[in-house]
Amino acid sequence: MGNRCADVIVIGGGIIGNAAAYYLAKRGCSVIVLEKSDHLGDGGSSRNGGGVRQSGRDKRELPLAMYGIKNLWPTLSEELETDVEYCQDGNLRLGKTEEHMKILSGLAENAQSCGLDVRMISGEEVRDICPYLSDEVIGASWCPTDGHANPMLATLGFYKKARELGVRFITGEEVTAIRKIRGKARQVITKENVYEGENIILAAGLKSREIADTVGVDIPMQPALLECLVTEAEPEMFGQMLGTAEADFYGHQTKHGSFVFGGSSNFEGFNKDNGTPVNSSITASCICRGIMKYFPSLSDAKIVRTWAGWMDLCADKVPVISKMEEVPGLILACGFSGHGFGIAPAVGEQLSEMVVDGSTALDLTALRYDRFQAKI
Amino acid sequence: MNTINDRSKILKEFVPANDDDMIICRCEEITKGEIRRAVHDGMFTLTEIRRYLRTGMGLCQGQTCSKLVRGIVARELGVSPAELEPATSRAPMRPTEMRVLGKEVR
Amino acid sequence: MKRYDLIVVGAGPSGLSAAIEAAKKGMNVIVFDENAKPGGQLFKQIHKFFGSKEHKAKIRGFKIGEDLLKEAEDAGVQVVLNATVIGLYLDKEITVRIGDEIRHYKGDAIIVATGASENMVTFDGWTLPGVIGAGAAQTMMNLHGVQPGKKVLMLGSGNVGLVVSYQLMQAGCEVAALVDAAPRIGGYGVHAAKLARCGVPFYLSHTIVKAEGEDRVTGVTIAKVDQNWQTVPGSEKYFDADTICLAVGLSPMSQLLKMAGCEMEDNPKKGGQVPLCDKYGETSVKGIFVAGDVSGIEEASSAMIEGRMAGTAAACELGFMNEKERDEKLAALEEALESLRQGMFGPENKGKLLKKTDEGCDISMNLLENGYLGEEEVKQYPGVTKTIGIHPVMECTQNIPCNPCQDACPKNCIKIGENITSLPAVDPDAQCIGCGMCVAACSGQAIFLVNEQFEKDYASVTLPYEFLPLPEKGAEGKALDRSGNEVCRAEVVEIKTSKAFDHTNLLTIKVPVDMAMKARFFRAS
Repeated sequence: MGNRCADVIVIGGGIIGNAAAYYLAKRGCSVIVLEKSDHLGDGGSSRNGGGVRQSGRDKRELPLAMYGIKNLWPTLSEELETDVEYCQDGNLRLGKTEEHMKILSGLAENAQSCGLDVRMISGEEVRDICPYLSDEVIGASWCPTDGHANPMLATLGFYKKARELGVRFITGEEVTAIRKIRGKARQVITKENVYEGENIILAAGLKSREIADTVGVDIPMQPALLECLVTEAEPEMFGQMLGTAEADFYGHQTKHGSFVFGGSSNFEGFNKDNGTPVNSSITASCICRGIMKYFPSLSDAKIVRTWAGWMDLCADKVPVISKMEEVPGLILACGFSGHGFGIAPAVGEQLSEMVVDGSTALDLTALRYDRFQAKI
Repeated sequence: MNTINDRSKILKEFVPANDDDMIICRCEEITKGEIRRAVHDGMFTLTEIRRYLRTGMGLCQGQTCSKLVRGIVARELGVSPAELEPATSRAPMRPTEMRVLGKEVR
Repeated sequence: MKRYDLIVVGAGPSGLSAAIEAAKKGMNVIVFDENAKPGGQLFKQIHKFFGSKEHKAKIRGFKIGEDLLKEAEDAGVQVVLNATVIGLYLDKEITVRIGDEIRHYKGDAIIVATGASENMVTFDGWTLPGVIGAGAAQTMMNLHGVQPGKKVLMLGSGNVGLVVSYQLMQAGCEVAALVDAAPRIGGYGVHAAKLARCGVPFYLSHTIVKAEGEDRVTGVTIAKVDQNWQTVPGSEKYFDADTICLAVGLSPMSQLLKMAGCEMEDNPKKGGQVPLCDKYGETSVKGIFVAGDVSGIEEASSAMIEGRMAGTAAACELGFMNEKERDEKLAALEEALESLRQGMFGPENKGKLLKKTDEGCDISMNLLENGYLGEEEVKQYPGVTKTIGIHPVMECTQNIPCNPCQDACPKNCIKIGENITSLPAVDPDAQCIGCGMCVAACSGQAIFLVNEQFEKDYASVTLPYEFLPLPEKGAEGKALDRSGNEVCRAEVVEIKTSKAFDHTNLLTIKVPVDMAMKARFFRAS
């Protein structure tokens, strides 16, 4: 086995880790990425709905989303020489009741105050944009600059390009601990090996909590199961990313023609596991019922596959993207709470700045690791 | 079972072959050449190949092509096909219309 | 949620057998199968099975299927058809598509007996209409009564390729050639010999290079392969054909088990991905069992025994049977299974090139490479003797587990002995009466009755005949030798059909006496 030292050791070969590795390599750093699974991007990166949106986001992570959509996503396919199937046809967040419309207006106002173009539109306007929606939809929030992309291709595209730039990826390499040497995080211990780096980026999803624990850091996260399903390829119908006020499903039609929809059954925090994220027996059916109320015409579309994935649900539902001053050399990027995909390129780039420049162009103070305080 | 796999492994140079345009995954119309190319792009596992190219993600759910893809990938990597773990199986085992999947009886 | 003592997925030979064992012990059992008809592959099997009496030897597959269904019904097994199990979740819960609904059920035990699916190989044109699996061909012919094509080229010389080729001929199709990249025939020699004497050419060490045709198969080009499986330029041969049948192996349909979290292994000897399981089929997930091809590709006879084992083990685990009874049952089943796995084709000898039979006879390379026995070679086997008057000639030359001929002879002319893989021998002290029971009983159609003193200068040869139309007595035609070549004129002097022969007709032809040990098939002119 070759050299186990690098400028940066990235723990976690998901889209965050892979993007960070790519932007770091572009800046001339030597990088080793350690992935526990046999496959790159085997966690949330390959198990999400593919949304690249700004609307509906918490104010604290909105700048990352807006920056990425403005500066990175439009050229990502060329940059990675991989068609990441980015489609910017807007996002509709649908409502069926007055109650829903109230939730949506609140979210819209929030985003507008950050300078995002989000509008409330009527049921008719919704159907002008997407004529397949049923009359049950009475309105929506509409963000024309939102969109979607293919999470698997984006994750593997970052990997492919980073690998070309000389980043060393090692899969099947499970990290058990970070070890401080003379007061500085320096070694990454795996089941079989020890790696060393000037900087360590911890981007291991849910597993980050256990690993951070080995240097005395706790990030309040918990697992929650989200499930997705995909249909066979259908004729091209619409390009919008969809969500609902009720959060009963979200999804889009992919470039390939299949529809990818995600959702839950309300038991996502309590699901059992057999070692791999396993679908529950009831969720896919529940998602189908949800979808058909909005899209009656999809009722004959055949579901070919379902899958599940664990979210790293942070206590306040936004990620921790932060240097750890208490543990110099360690950078955290975890707790993405089920909406990390859309901001991943921006996060990767900011992480590279954190390492190379010592600071980031975007203000990420609100995402610091030490923000968690008791309520009173 | 996770096995340590250094992705910096140097493969033999990609050489175009006469049968590169032969369709291997019929459902998604993926050719042998695309599969071979993907291995050189770094996709060393059948799961990654699947996610990268969509092989075995169509209506037959890989019933027809998964062994074929595996053989091609193994050859390109210079390993035995048995070393490559087949991709996960996922419900529904047969494509099922949304109106059916949504109609549960207990 | 509706809960059963046992849920069986798949109503094929192993699934039904498992359900029968469990139901006989009083378990509440339900079997789901996605097909419209139960029986799995059994109802496509129109040939007689090998083995011994306990394995239902010399009974045709579909008849075994009928018996099994009857037994299941008598035992109170509920079989639900057109019911597709689409998921196997935690807590042994399944989801089943029945009609336009999804039903949830739980089982205290679940036996997955989903069988296998056909492998494919690629060559230029492999996606053209007309390229089909051998199993698909069988389904078309034997379940639906439809010819898959008029002129067929078969790829694969394992038992499936051999048996299906024969069935294609029975269905009135022409088999243009049987091709295999391997240097030797993979299946039973007796199956190959049935094809060769009808004139089907074998091309071993050959592969398909191209399926010709624009929008459907119109022909096939094959070529020789060298030791490195590369095609030899200049060795191409072209055949007119409208159908290419692929019989290149099966893969276990183990997806449900993988989904359920069972530990899997990749075992080329078992045909691919199979769950790890104990001797009686229990997987790493307690209460989930497997039986039949899904746990490793074998054949229907062993699948039925495995099913009975899994059903027995599940019954004991759930307290429907005590351990003593279980152990006795399993010991008997294990012995039956072991005996099926003996001989040249047993798992231990897979891939080995054996040179001698257990009796010390040379194994015919001619048979392995061309599909038929050489005229001189045949004399060395214990079933081939020369006596005055009518007597059996048993061209059975490989040690395979099969012994119905021994029981068939009312005069005890035929000896196999304890070991069912032994070659049949003629007992010189017993007197053949020419009843033909042995000819009809031989699942490999390898027994002939020869009488070299039939008439002056003429011998009679009685051969098994399973084609329609049946020639009439007095019909004139040609006798074909083991390689399918016409060797002389022949006249049908007798046709015997009997219920006891179970659709194997006995054709007695008259040939010049020097042709007695050559003529092995008859073609009417």
